[in-house]
Amino acid sequence: MIYLQLFWQFFQIGIFSFGGGYATLPFLYVIADKFHWFTTSELTNMLAISSITPGPVGVNVATFAGFNSAGIIGSMLATTAVVLPSFIIVTIVSKTLEKFKTNRFVKSAVKSLKPAGCALLSSVGIKLIFTSNLYLFGTLLLILLIILSFIKKLDPLFYLGISAVAGLILGSINWIGI
Amino acid sequence: MDKNFYSIFKTFFKVGTMLLGGGYVILPLLTSELVEKKKWITSEELCEYYALGAALPGIIAANTAIFTGRKLLGTKGAIAAVTGMILPAFVAIILLAYIFIGIVNIPVVQHIFWGVGIGVIVLLFLAVKEMWIKSVTDKFTAVIYLLCLISALCGKIPLPVIVIFALVSGIVRQVFEDRKIAKGGSK
Repeated sequence: MIYLQLFWQFFQIGIFSFGGGYATLPFLYVIADKFHWFTTSELTNMLAISSITPGPVGVNVATFAGFNSAGIIGSMLATTAVVLPSFIIVTIVSKTLEKFKTNRFVKSAVKSLKPAGCALLSSVGIKLIFTSNLYLFGTLLLILLIILSFIKKLDPLFYLGISAVAGLILGSINWIGI
Repeated sequence: MDKNFYSIFKTFFKVGTMLLGGGYVILPLLTSELVEKKKWITSEELCEYYALGAALPGIIAANTAIFTGRKLLGTKGAIAAVTGMILPAFVAIILLAYIFIGIVNIPVVQHIFWGVGIGVIVLLFLAVKEMWIKSVTDKFTAVIYLLCLISALCGKIPLPVIVIFALVSGIVRQVFEDRKIAKGGSK
């Protein structure tokens, strides 16, 4: 039963996530709330890990979530389920490629799906800010890093590195909970 | 070089291994492997597949791999390409998951992950900023953005419903624009 549910949930992600990269996240946070296969904080950890491992983030998280909830078979199912819709959709689109590219309804639909994808990701960010225990120093660090991102274009890994070091230092002097 | 199941798989496996930190680097990687080294497709074709892959639902890297694989060797090529692309991600995570489960309760590790959680919010912010610039371009898209954001935040409406709403609004908008043009023409 869990296999079937796992497959179905990740299959839906493959159908409904628009905008690539992190677009799968809103769906994953909903799954975390609903099924308890993994917690939201595990998901956030996973996101950080997937930034330093090869492969698309969506695949990384699907593999991890599947593994966490139903072992190796779960991870294979979730990963297959998340790319299967792509396979079906691309096959259909390839057959009608010229029509698909020039169709004005398709163009208009894509144009309004993009802000929807962006909105869903924004909602994840907002929820994360309010649900993770940032405390005083976490909030300060977050504001500081966001200001920094406007001043200078840095590698994403830099933000993860700096915040990991900050966590290590603040944790060792017991300042995290302040 | 010969286009067979194994060579396609191997090429995409290599790209999958080098794909770090999300799908944004995929285009330069694929260009170097498929266009410059193997000369399997042209750069224009690749750009078109990437653009289509980004417009369709799902993981962009997987979509692009499937389009390219199909072009090279039909359905067989598509399977080879997508399996090659996601296998490194899969193996890396399985290995890490074992380590991760073993160390996650150590206080030092928890402190590091507390910090990394903040870095993740920054990465999300950057992704949203980038998507915003590309997607919210006029009043209509701004309204779609706001409506979707509010409904996602209230948490009562299933996300697929929100996505379908956006899809339908896009189509309806085009229907109205067609009508406007038809009316303008009849005057």
